[in-house]
Amino acid sequence: MSSPPGEPRKIGYLYILPALLVYGAFLLYPLGRAVHLSLFEWNGITLGKFVGLSNYADVVADAGLRAAFGHALVLIVFYSVLPVVIGLALASVLQRARVRGLGFFRTVVFLPQVVAMVVVAVSWRHIYAPDGPLNDVLRAVGLDSVARGWLGDYTFALPAVGVIGTWFETGLVTVLLLAGMARIPKERYEAARLDGAGAFAEFFAVVLPAVRGEIAVAVTLTVIAALRTFDLVYVTTSGGPGTSTSVPSYEVYHRAFELGQVGSAAAIGVCLTVLIFVITLGVNRLADRGTA
Amino acid sequence: MKVVALATAALLLTAACTPGSDNPGGAASAPSTVKTDAAALGDVSLTVWDQEVRGGQAAQMAELNKQFQAKYPNIKLKRVSRSFDDLKTTLRLALSGNDAPDVVQANNGRSDMGEFVKAGQLVPLDKWADAYNWKSRYPASVLQYSRYSPDGKTFGEGDLYGMPQVGEVVGIYYNKTKLTALGLEPPKTWADFENALGKAKAAGELPMQLGNLDKWPAIHVFGTVQDKHVPAQQITTLAFGRPGASWKTTENTQAAETLVSWVDKGYFNPGFNGQGYDPAWQDFGKGKGVFLIAGTWLQADLQKALGDKVGFLLPPGASADEKPVVTGGTGLPFAVTNKAKNPDAAAAYINFITSSDAMKVLASTGNLPIADASSQQAPAGLAGDIFSAFGTAVSKEGLVPYLDYATPTMYDTIGAALQDLLAKKATPQQFVDKLEADYSKFAGK
Amino acid sequence: MRAPLAERVGNYVLLIVFGLFALGPIVTILVAALGPDDGGSGSSGFGNFGKAWEIGHFGSYLRTSLAVSVSVVVVSVLLSVLSGYAFGTMRFRGAGVLFYLFLLGIMMPTEAIVVPLYFDLRSLGLTDTFWAIALPQVAQSVAFGTFWMRSYFRSSSRSLVEAARLDGAGPWRTLWQVLVPPARPALVTLIVLVFMWTWNEFLIPLVMVTSESLRTAPLGLAFFSGQYTSGFTLLAAGAVIVGTPVVLVYAFLQRHFIAGMLEGAVRE
Repeated sequence: MSSPPGEPRKIGYLYILPALLVYGAFLLYPLGRAVHLSLFEWNGITLGKFVGLSNYADVVADAGLRAAFGHALVLIVFYSVLPVVIGLALASVLQRARVRGLGFFRTVVFLPQVVAMVVVAVSWRHIYAPDGPLNDVLRAVGLDSVARGWLGDYTFALPAVGVIGTWFETGLVTVLLLAGMARIPKERYEAARLDGAGAFAEFFAVVLPAVRGEIAVAVTLTVIAALRTFDLVYVTTSGGPGTSTSVPSYEVYHRAFELGQVGSAAAIGVCLTVLIFVITLGVNRLADRGTA
Repeated sequence: MKVVALATAALLLTAACTPGSDNPGGAASAPSTVKTDAAALGDVSLTVWDQEVRGGQAAQMAELNKQFQAKYPNIKLKRVSRSFDDLKTTLRLALSGNDAPDVVQANNGRSDMGEFVKAGQLVPLDKWADAYNWKSRYPASVLQYSRYSPDGKTFGEGDLYGMPQVGEVVGIYYNKTKLTALGLEPPKTWADFENALGKAKAAGELPMQLGNLDKWPAIHVFGTVQDKHVPAQQITTLAFGRPGASWKTTENTQAAETLVSWVDKGYFNPGFNGQGYDPAWQDFGKGKGVFLIAGTWLQADLQKALGDKVGFLLPPGASADEKPVVTGGTGLPFAVTNKAKNPDAAAAYINFITSSDAMKVLASTGNLPIADASSQQAPAGLAGDIFSAFGTAVSKEGLVPYLDYATPTMYDTIGAALQDLLAKKATPQQFVDKLEADYSKFAGK
Repeated sequence: MRAPLAERVGNYVLLIVFGLFALGPIVTILVAALGPDDGGSGSSGFGNFGKAWEIGHFGSYLRTSLAVSVSVVVVSVLLSVLSGYAFGTMRFRGAGVLFYLFLLGIMMPTEAIVVPLYFDLRSLGLTDTFWAIALPQVAQSVAFGTFWMRSYFRSSSRSLVEAARLDGAGPWRTLWQVLVPPARPALVTLIVLVFMWTWNEFLIPLVMVTSESLRTAPLGLAFFSGQYTSGFTLLAAGAVIVGTPVVLVYAFLQRHFIAGMLEGAVRE
């Protein structure tokens, strides 16, 4: 006789075993090894040298690494904050009024997520070129002085990369929020209107609290994406001009496989992971507190 | 909790093993006897990684590979070709991987070949050099660019690790039609050149094309300017990463200041730091820009684009008959890796693509062969300019090496520092300080 | 109550503007790919795709990408269904801790593990193999997949499972014959997501593989972009070739996919 569902059963271990094995061998164990490697100075070929936590000290002490993490924080604004703000505005406007073609719009606006990052990078590198479409448009409307080689400009290269991130993530966030808003019972809107709330008040009182969960998911996903920008930087700027678009994820590859500083690369990778954990936990705590 | 305890214990256990302890390392060694009869080697498969992707380069490699396969049907070639940047990014990984290639084209600088030699990943080729008599094929001044001591510390002397096919020199491509329209002759002195730049600007033309998004192009432009200010011997010491010179000299700072003054006077295309290297020379090829400071590897592409409207000249000195000091040397040499299963076959391949017959193919496909250049039919037009320019540079011993050769990190350092300098984010003084820091940290050892 | 005309027009304008913003870069590259070749190879229109295919060796790359993606999807989904089922319907000691362990995997960036994984696989002689690309991606997909399927199975009807048990079905039969068939939307979503992520993955193939025969499509595009130095047209064509398969999968399944994704995302 089999036991009722939900009753303790040892066979559960068997079911999770295959997944756990692959996951453990190819994700957990390497993470542990990354921590191990980060304690050494190693060029990948000859014998390594134990240096304790000095690679981690470098993250704070080395100006280049500090800058890379600083750039990552800037990118979080473009990948997370902007899309959430735009997404909220877009979704709430669309939700208020029944517009036709919403399904089609959802499909279109989600499309950027589907395209490979390398393709995105090639496309945007062309758009940002000194003689590319963006500058053409700027010149056409008389903004000649603004036109420039965006990816080679010290001030604008990082924001330019950031805008690619905003383009990439806004669709995902909008779709998530739209779904959340669709679930809001009509009565809440009516109650708010009876209280005399206008559009803005309605947004803050009814919509925003209801989509807390979706916002948390959106922020989590987009922050992770912002910190994992290797593909994009590799194809567009390689960290340049100078070091104005260096990011931790690119530094990991660059140090481990081009400069022969494997320990440092491992330490950066571990720091990235910890950063993601902290931000994810923080965001979800905040969201939970709101719905409690 | 138990899981955490177990994990920590496991981690501590593995902490005992130092990474890299499973790699014996040490210098790679060549076999004591070498075979030169490639046909007798039996069935061999050779994987070759090269960066011969530009117009003329692609043509010569394809042709030579075809001829090699025809002559030695027992040796199968597997060719992987990649851009210079991509090769640089992936070669290190490839050499230490499990399926390493047999023959690779490696950048001679310390950041690449120097590191590979130090790690024992390249095989010294002297035994084959003797067997195939490469020492009489190329002069010593050419072979020195591929020589390292076995510990990788000394560059320019020691064992031979590679053989290049082409010569390279960085010079000035000029648009003949535009020069004539400006009423100018091809400049014979450096002052003439700077004058021409000013005249072009005043006449509303774009004086010079530059595309520095890829970070390395400005190294060549700066090198050219530096050649006019700093004594050649110093440049050679700095570029080879040998102790005894310094970046913090007035001449170096002056060179940096000159380059910055060109930016200020608007001699370059606007937004050059954001322009790719290839789009820049393509624009020159479409007739935008009077001058382009670039290397002889663009010969075939520019020939195709501008035909007889383009010329090439060595950057001139203070006076017309002064000994030239120009940046250049050899193209990337072909080397044999220590994972090559059949080094004799690899060496035979290298021998084939650097033979005098190969030189003829190189010349006919729009490249600059490193040897026998003078005995080649000097073709008219751009190729003729390039051949004679290189011939002069070599015969007058005017070549100085590329600046990024100097240290394992110099390629990155000077690339980023130049971008900073050209964007006015760093002063010439700060620029030379950065280079000096990198150089002295390495050469001071 | 119909909204005032101004508001409705405003809404459509907003839709169109953002639709254009999302589509713009994609259209740009399509247009560039179809134009006359500015690199002088003389082809134009659809001929560009043929030329890019040839020069860029995309045939072999697409085959590899397909093989990797399909394998990863099959293995990951299978493993995720099994583990999601266990976490979602069974109680056993340590289930909570083990599940949080899996959650960790969703947040772990590839960059953190690719370095040690490379060096360890290298000393085992396993780099430059098909499984060196596939298995790490299976591990990543299984982390997400377990979370996904668990949240689905948790919310599946208890009465169904109860009925199956009373019929004498063991856990295996309950899973495959009772719970999985209605799970199609959640499964489709998982399949599309894993396929998409695997096809588009760049860092793992870049590091693990150096031989041409195992190169995946995004990698092929990155190298093609460095190699093809004369003009943008063929590069754009190559980009279209690499991006299209996933777009096609998405286009065909998007209704199920988006619906499934939204349902699942807030199920927790």
